[in-house]
Amino acid sequence: MMEDTRIGLYVCWCGTNIAKMVDVEQVAKELGDLPNVVLSKTYKYMCSDPGQDMIIQDIQENNLNRVVVAACSPRIHELTFRRALANAGLNPYMFQMANIREQVSWVHTDREEATKKAKSLIAGAISRVAYHEALEKRTVEIDPATLILGGGIAGMSAALEIADAGKQVYLVEKKAQLGGQLLQVDLTFPFMYSAQQLRQMIIEKVVQHPNIQVFNNQVVEEVNGYIGNFSTQIKNGKKKETELKFGNVIVATGLKAFDPQGIEAYAYGKFPNVITSLEFEKMLLKGKIQTKEGKVPKNIAIIHCVGSRNKDYHEYCSRTCCMTALKFANQLKSAIPDSNVYELYADMRSFGKGCEELYTKTSTKGVTFLMFDQQDKLPEVIKAGKNDGCEMLIQMDEKLSGEEVEIPADLIVLMVGMEAHEDAKKTGHSVGISLCGNSFYIEKHPKLDPVATTTDGVYIVGNCQGPKDIPDSICQAKAAAARILGTINKKQVEIEVTTAFANEELCCGCQTCVQVCPYTALSYEEEKNISVVNEALCKGCGTCGSACPCGAISSRHFTDKQILSQIEGLMEMILQEEISEN
Amino acid sequence: MAKTEAKPKLKLAVYWGAACGGCCVSVLDVHEKLFTVLEHADLVFWPIALDIKYKDVKAMPDGHIDLTLFNGAVRNSENEEMAKLLRKKTKVLVAYGSCAHMGGIPGLANFSSKEEIFSRVYEESESTINPDKIRPVPEFEVKEGILDIPVFYNDVRTLDQVVNVDYYLPGCPPQTERLVEVFLAIVTGAELPPAGSVIGALNKTQCDECERKQTEDKSISEFKRPIDIVDDGESCFLEQGVICMGPATRGGCDVRCIEGNAPCRGCYGPPDDIPDPGSKMLSAVGTIIKGNNESEINATVDTIDDPAGLFYRFSLPNSILRRKVL
Repeated sequence: MMEDTRIGLYVCWCGTNIAKMVDVEQVAKELGDLPNVVLSKTYKYMCSDPGQDMIIQDIQENNLNRVVVAACSPRIHELTFRRALANAGLNPYMFQMANIREQVSWVHTDREEATKKAKSLIAGAISRVAYHEALEKRTVEIDPATLILGGGIAGMSAALEIADAGKQVYLVEKKAQLGGQLLQVDLTFPFMYSAQQLRQMIIEKVVQHPNIQVFNNQVVEEVNGYIGNFSTQIKNGKKKETELKFGNVIVATGLKAFDPQGIEAYAYGKFPNVITSLEFEKMLLKGKIQTKEGKVPKNIAIIHCVGSRNKDYHEYCSRTCCMTALKFANQLKSAIPDSNVYELYADMRSFGKGCEELYTKTSTKGVTFLMFDQQDKLPEVIKAGKNDGCEMLIQMDEKLSGEEVEIPADLIVLMVGMEAHEDAKKTGHSVGISLCGNSFYIEKHPKLDPVATTTDGVYIVGNCQGPKDIPDSICQAKAAAARILGTINKKQVEIEVTTAFANEELCCGCQTCVQVCPYTALSYEEEKNISVVNEALCKGCGTCGSACPCGAISSRHFTDKQILSQIEGLMEMILQEEISEN
Repeated sequence: MAKTEAKPKLKLAVYWGAACGGCCVSVLDVHEKLFTVLEHADLVFWPIALDIKYKDVKAMPDGHIDLTLFNGAVRNSENEEMAKLLRKKTKVLVAYGSCAHMGGIPGLANFSSKEEIFSRVYEESESTINPDKIRPVPEFEVKEGILDIPVFYNDVRTLDQVVNVDYYLPGCPPQTERLVEVFLAIVTGAELPPAGSVIGALNKTQCDECERKQTEDKSISEFKRPIDIVDDGESCFLEQGVICMGPATRGGCDVRCIEGNAPCRGCYGPPDDIPDPGSKMLSAVGTIIKGNNESEINATVDTIDDPAGLFYRFSLPNSILRRKVL
């Protein structure tokens, strides 16, 4: 360190939140004696304007060049205090926070012990801050175009939203036709709108839109770059490859239906009149409900939760099948009024606008509801006897009555669940996003940021993020579109400052870092036999730095020296306390 | 009689602490270059080669010796006493070899306590018959007086954990060529690096010099000891499932082990700024383990034979761990 290290220490009372459990005056007095600490103060609310002004004034009057605030969690006020430093003309990263509220006063009941712990945490912060280095903010320009992967209802909705705002969209669809899952659906629940009409309406807008360029039968193999500056190669027509450049990406690749062949009890593939919900939709689209033999079925059973909510297949709920099953019952009752319709369900999930009403309405139409236990025993489909008057029988333990029942069936519809595409991982890798345990894409924050991902500029919407119905998919699409239009409007975006950097002098070219980086920010430069960090892609997670065996990679603001000095400061205080006690 | 004044010869000492003797032999390995050395230097103390007693060293004025190469770790009171004595008598003290530098092989004893070592060595070992459980004691009274031997410490320490060290010359043993280079640099008065530096070694790690082929795809489901593979002589050892400390070990030995078809064992220690080569190598190895779930990963990890001894073979006393907490 060229200049003298001059640290200002501020211990916050947080009203009584900290002060009642930590002796803040004692802490400030004792730690004020540590080397490099020029002044040490306490204040009721450090985060208040007078608290911040005190820091600013002290920096200017006492030439402080580093600041430690012992207060609440850095998640709450680190930015506040960094701003105060910046206002005083100091680099905001010359700051360290010690959390003596969430980690001390709120979780302890012994004032003396809590005070000791606070001292250790602060001593660590003081020791660390001496090694902090000034870091500068960086921004990148945003290309106003957007790439959307997947031309289903979610992808198309997002495309329209962005294109209507006057920005270019490249919409890439794997199949020959736009529409995704909608192509396979007749009516939509709960209001029975025609899916095909919805689809045609929206497709027409998309294909005619001057700001949307659609690429059918195309798969994007690899997206390069980072927020604001992505690019990919795409085949235009038969052979010609064109390069697309765009600033943001929306992944709307949807999902696929569960294949019920693995569930023996349902005999799918064994009996021709056991069909999936998608196959039944096809009949509905054709307007002809009939068995394989061409007969009008008299007894129709609909089995719920096929492949869903079952630890042997998928533990999650596929969210749309219960309501689709009720829709089927209604369509059956109007198409074949004298038919017997049986709904074999595990739990009826009728959340969402108009859905509980659909359930109530369906239950007045003479549909028989029978409950089975998904964990205990699945209903079993068997061949009916000669005198049963039907082709198949379903044997089940009816949960509500506690009785074993047999249901006659000429047609059995399996409400198959939804699952991620096989190539979800590959697609995710191409844009730098990860999967959750169920192979759906994982969002940046499950509650607070459900359409963004941990890769800046890449958003996930619709079913690829998890099974959902049409309105939910469209909501996500439009939310992502709004986020993207926001960044386009700002023209530039700030990127992570606390990134990794590689020291060419030390790098031995082992490529360990390249393999571990979850953001594809590291690449190997063969000519020089070194790894290089693309700092625009780096999120500062530190994985490469800890994996690098030769010490060539460090993470800004989390260098070994900074972390170890923090530990040393903390341990030293603990040791001192122990020595003084004995 | 005014003759051209001969440049005064350097006074050189070589000493061993807890060591195997290999470092002293590596000094002898300068072969005929010894004559060049002796043109410039007088050897004033070197127990392996010269009959000079401790009392002679004690009698030297402070700072009398220009250069001491101290090899071996500090394991007992004699090592400590001599380290302190030589520090006082020496201008430039060099920690010579892995043991003085990082604790070396004797440092692995820090995985055991003094009690564990004594009970194993003096009572339990297969070749020991000691029904009275007699153990060495530092002092023993006989009729002629009191006999004493050095006190065996609980911990093995590096030289710089006992005295200030000017330079570190790493290796087990250091490459003799490096020693000659360093020696000649001192003799010719070349500009010396800042005190505390590692000399006679590179700051890039072994992989930078290693010529074995590596691919991007390192993924290992079973680790093997060198004796368990038929080395193809060309591919990166790690890719063959053998743990090679090369990525975390500074170069300078001319990749001698790897050239001899043995994986690097890490004797040159880590590059600057790496506080703990063992943990660094562990986390690097962590990235190449194949496995989709915890049990698969654990099964792979279990194939690493003696991980503590492997990753901290030369560096335990100098690492963040320093020793096993007993």
